[in-house]
Amino acid sequence: MKKFYIILILLVSHSVYAQIDYSKLIIGRNNGAKTLHDGNVTNTFGFAESLGELIDVPGPTIYLNEGDSVEIDFWNMSQGAPHTIHLHGLDVNQENDGVGALSFDVYHMAHGFYRFKAPHAGTYLYHCHVVSTIHVQAGMYGVLVVRPQNGDPNQVWTGGEAYEKELIITSSEIDTNWHTDAVLDHPYDTINPVPVMIPDDYIPQYFLVSGLSDTQLSNPANYYWAAEDAKVYLRQSNAGYYGTRYIYPSSVSARTLSSDGRPLPAEYVNDTLEVYPGERYGTMIQLGSDPFYTIDVEYFDLNTNEVKSTQTYTIRTSMAGLDENSIFSSTIYPVPSSTGVFYSSEEFQSEYEIYSITGNKILEGKNMRIDLSDQPKGMYIFQYEGWTKKLLIN
Amino acid sequence: MRFIILVVLGFLVQDTIAATLDVRLVIQAGTINLSGATLDARTFSQNTTFQPNSDILIWTTNDDVNLRVVNLDSDPHGFEIDGYTTSFGTIAPGDSSEQNIVLSNAGVFRYFDNLNSPFNAYLGLSGVIHVKDASDTTPYFYWDIREYQELWNAQIIGGSNPALNSYDPEQFTINGNHYPNTVTDPLARVTGNVGNAFKVVVVNNGLSIHSLHFHGYHLSIEADSKYSYTLGRSKDTFPVHPEEHLVLSCTPDKEGEYPVHDHNLVAVTGGGEYSTGMLLTILIDP
Repeated sequence: MKKFYIILILLVSHSVYAQIDYSKLIIGRNNGAKTLHDGNVTNTFGFAESLGELIDVPGPTIYLNEGDSVEIDFWNMSQGAPHTIHLHGLDVNQENDGVGALSFDVYHMAHGFYRFKAPHAGTYLYHCHVVSTIHVQAGMYGVLVVRPQNGDPNQVWTGGEAYEKELIITSSEIDTNWHTDAVLDHPYDTINPVPVMIPDDYIPQYFLVSGLSDTQLSNPANYYWAAEDAKVYLRQSNAGYYGTRYIYPSSVSARTLSSDGRPLPAEYVNDTLEVYPGERYGTMIQLGSDPFYTIDVEYFDLNTNEVKSTQTYTIRTSMAGLDENSIFSSTIYPVPSSTGVFYSSEEFQSEYEIYSITGNKILEGKNMRIDLSDQPKGMYIFQYEGWTKKLLIN
Repeated sequence: MRFIILVVLGFLVQDTIAATLDVRLVIQAGTINLSGATLDARTFSQNTTFQPNSDILIWTTNDDVNLRVVNLDSDPHGFEIDGYTTSFGTIAPGDSSEQNIVLSNAGVFRYFDNLNSPFNAYLGLSGVIHVKDASDTTPYFYWDIREYQELWNAQIIGGSNPALNSYDPEQFTINGNHYPNTVTDPLARVTGNVGNAFKVVVVNNGLSIHSLHFHGYHLSIEADSKYSYTLGRSKDTFPVHPEEHLVLSCTPDKEGEYPVHDHNLVAVTGGGEYSTGMLLTILIDP
């Protein structure tokens, strides 16, 4: 009889897992150390995709396909307060909404499972919802992209407009006074809530575009590369506590097509777009043949409307300043890379290949932006026309 | 001919539903208890006892409203309805002013003290009028959102207006309440059933921009007093600017209890304490 029950349980559990189209491990940690543009390092909380991966802010982008049955296995390795994952905008049911008081908190070394069906194709956020004022500021947020049902990475939604490249831009801020141990090591009790105090003021010193600011953004290593005349889909979101205003270059047409994971009833065509905390937008921009395009992002205080910072994000077209007939010589940067993304200063005439340290080929192509961000940290071998270079993700 | 009869019938029906109302709004001084702070405030109330938030007035289209505003405060005040041309003049302490008002179009209107703008309105002298069509049976819920900087209230009442560019509020409220009191406010707390439509009227009577995020559902923008190009958008996060009002509609597709809060997450705190600010939950039964 006992054997029968065991078999029954195995069958039931198998059928549950059989319904899952996509399973994803996300690890929560409290031990991040983010290097800011001036060299200062601040404590952060954050998310990672594997045990060997250091956390960064924002967390890894999660990609799903519309209609997928998804399971996120959230493993809290924080050694501190519990965490959750709130699937912001995905309209999941209460049990999977990531609000501890209404479902469950995930304590240190525990796993929490969030199961849901990926909704409309679009741009969403995910973030911790435990003492969210502190934990989101600490860095526990990331972008979640739902692609069309067929998984097409170059289409806004099923039957929607196509694009050549997408650019995920998340705005946020850091007030380092909120990143001290005294603030981050707050008390917490799910059953018997205790008061949690925040610092007196929120006066950020750093204004981030996808985790970078100021000289980090002006560093060519962090330019975003796109081909001449490319149609680029901006997936914009605001994970901060200030308003943001995108100011597009006058030489591009910018059409906002969607917001909060839904198509707009009518395209919004303007040379600026305001994105408020928690909002997301999808904006199509048409590049031309200029070598550089810059998007200014203004950060304004929601209480006074005063602009506190302007950050400039650079898109460089792949032909810019390059001699397409030049022989590939040397430069791939940055090495090491903390994001897993490398760039070539020159175009490739034939395909390169990238191997893991164990000799498995993991990537080939001619793209000047070499994206290994989905790979674990470690050493990789880059080979091109008999030329070899070691790439390190740290 | 049939059309004329229908039109006449329509007017007759409207006449029979619209009412003559005598409304008295009393300007009073009092204190409001927020998260760890008690602040001096001024509000409009239909009662002669001080209320912590100015009343939300719900009328029917074409109601013939005889509105009398009584000033029981020690300072002069005014009264204005946004988008409706009428003047109550300056109402001296102990005095009152009266006007006859007929609002023929359904919609949301913000009323406020137009003297010492925007500071008197900030103190609490601003509220909401919702004019409904008699045929509109949709359940409505009302969120009059505002915030306070604790030191400002006494300063303004003392006759000194602070610099707007120094505004840094610590208290964030819905209908004068902070969480968890927001959940016991029947005007604010959305309750309903799967498949039954509801609407939320959001009016920002504060000085800050708020970005309200709904868990669980997307809502459609039915009315927006500032940015008409947003009409029809289906969203989960709604920026609401000072003096702006929105009407949002939703037909819930699932049961559950879901938070709604300002996603400027500083505003879910109150007096520095998490989470005693601009937050409530909506409750949908099967």
